[in-house]
Amino acid sequence: MSNNTQITVSHNDGGRLRYGFAGRAAIVLKTMWRRGEGKFTLIVLALWLVVALISLIWTPQSLWATDGYHVWAKPSASHWLGTDGTGADVFSWLMAGSRTNLLIVVLTVAFSALWGLLLVSAMVARASALASASVVVIDALISIPTVLLALILAVPLGASITVIVIACGFGYGLNLARVARPSALLAARSSYVESALANGASGWRILVSHIIPNIVPVLAVQLSLSAGTAVLAESGLTYLGIGVPSGMPSWGHSLATSVKLINVFPLTVLWPGLVVTVVVVALNIFGDVLRDAIDPVTNPALRQTAASAEKEDER
Amino acid sequence: MRFVIRRLLLFVVALFGISVVVFAALRILPGDVASIMAGINAPASRVAQLREQLGLNRPLVAQYFDWMGALVTGDFGTSILTGRSVTALIGARASITFPLIIVGLLIAMLIGLPLGCAAVLARSPRVRMAFHVLAIIGGSVPALWGGLLLILLFGKGVGLVGILPSQGFPLDGWGEPVGAMLSLILPAFTVGIIVGASLMRYTRAALGDLANSGYIDMARSCGMTRTQAVLRVGLRLAMPQLVSVIGLTFASMVTGVMVIENLFALPGIGNGLVTDVGNRDLIAVQSELFLLAAFFLTIGLIVDVLHRLLDPRLKNASGVSEVSA
Repeated sequence: MSNNTQITVSHNDGGRLRYGFAGRAAIVLKTMWRRGEGKFTLIVLALWLVVALISLIWTPQSLWATDGYHVWAKPSASHWLGTDGTGADVFSWLMAGSRTNLLIVVLTVAFSALWGLLLVSAMVARASALASASVVVIDALISIPTVLLALILAVPLGASITVIVIACGFGYGLNLARVARPSALLAARSSYVESALANGASGWRILVSHIIPNIVPVLAVQLSLSAGTAVLAESGLTYLGIGVPSGMPSWGHSLATSVKLINVFPLTVLWPGLVVTVVVVALNIFGDVLRDAIDPVTNPALRQTAASAEKEDER
Repeated sequence: MRFVIRRLLLFVVALFGISVVVFAALRILPGDVASIMAGINAPASRVAQLREQLGLNRPLVAQYFDWMGALVTGDFGTSILTGRSVTALIGARASITFPLIIVGLLIAMLIGLPLGCAAVLARSPRVRMAFHVLAIIGGSVPALWGGLLLILLFGKGVGLVGILPSQGFPLDGWGEPVGAMLSLILPAFTVGIIVGASLMRYTRAALGDLANSGYIDMARSCGMTRTQAVLRVGLRLAMPQLVSVIGLTFASMVTGVMVIENLFALPGIGNGLVTDVGNRDLIAVQSELFLLAAFFLTIGLIVDVLHRLLDPRLKNASGVSEVSA
């Protein structure tokens, strides 16, 4: 029971912790770093970010320098992971691919978060007609798979990043809304929302300061799962020719080029697949670790800041 | 009963919505359908003839109702490229895709369900951790890469143990049953392993929630061991949820195996659709997209109704289930 009282306490001052956003972010990161899998995921993701930024100004070989004499070369000092069928440097293309994938993941996650939150707010709306209609519509739409949506979009748009972002973001948003609904509904029917309403708070304010903080743990898990799935979807859609357009570096592109001559040069295919797998593993773990670290219920460090802030208030 | 009627109404509305979206997606192309289908170098007379033949110079609403009217009578149009009816095309492709996904789903269930149960039953933290790692890695491998690794292990000519054909489907199709079956083994295992990892996660989540519930405590106080309680009571209670997941997984596999069909050069539904989009065979694409969407919505409908039939706890709930506080 003592646990329960703590929950109410942390929710009550969730909106006005003394430590600002940066302070709380530091605590969350520190808590994540303390766990083994947290270290792994933070290192991988930081590396991804750094490599993507570096690739904007420098890659070991120019992307468009094709070495016609060393096609399908083995790894060497000048070509760290060898070359592909046009003599282009595999390592440089992988490096440059990381920035395209980062862009796709960020856009997809942002789109699915906005779309998902819109649906969540519709589902917990006080107008019951809107609420039940949105639940039913989501149930119907959720059976349409991403690839099908991507194909429908690819007919008018052709291969483009937009196709990946919209097709993935749409489906992930539906999923997010479905998963987040129970906790959002619990918050929307709570007594603190009732008293906020009695104080004349607007629907927007209730969403931002009461409902969203309550679904943050669910959001953390779902959004990072979506990020991982977006990386996988990128490689599949690009391979099928409806994802990243040819000529733009991406991990899916590296994977697809290495497939064509698998019979002759089987080892080239290992690297892009390995990069994708490691990054997706990191993103999947990231969600779990982040959920435990970001929720004041499971992370006592965040509660301590709340408590110490209160003490300072008293002084 | 009211639930079924509401769900059916929704199904019809969703079907109508999808048909409009598919129709519109093909009409907002830059340029018009006829000139794209005729190709870049086609003479103007050919484009005009094609436009006439496809009824593209009629108003959009009339075109839409022509298409719908034909669909209702079972006429899905003719592929411009091959001259075959779309019905025949889809039939031929389905004869490859469906055996592939059914075998793939069986493999996935054989992998995912027992491993999911074992992950819940395991006591030692190390074993639990191992299951956790297995589930995460299994869900993180790109399908394309997983297939490639299997080809590198078992594919004829390239593999370490080259015993299975790695690409293509016999020209005679199922007229050559042994060859056809052999060529489906590697793709089916690729699908099975990847889908199996996700089934394992679902099983573990559904069963894990129940394993800490009062149902299990009750069963144990009646004298069952924890294993018995989880497998007999927990699994029975998780069944409706698992049936839904497996049903929806089955549906999504039809297009989900697209990459794998492409990699293993199998002329299945997904692979065919990508080819048709690439060839701008738009009349075929329009009907195929609509049929696939209709298939997904139908499976979604069946799964929802089945879930309700299997789970007596939902019987008294209204269409919108309330949150249990």
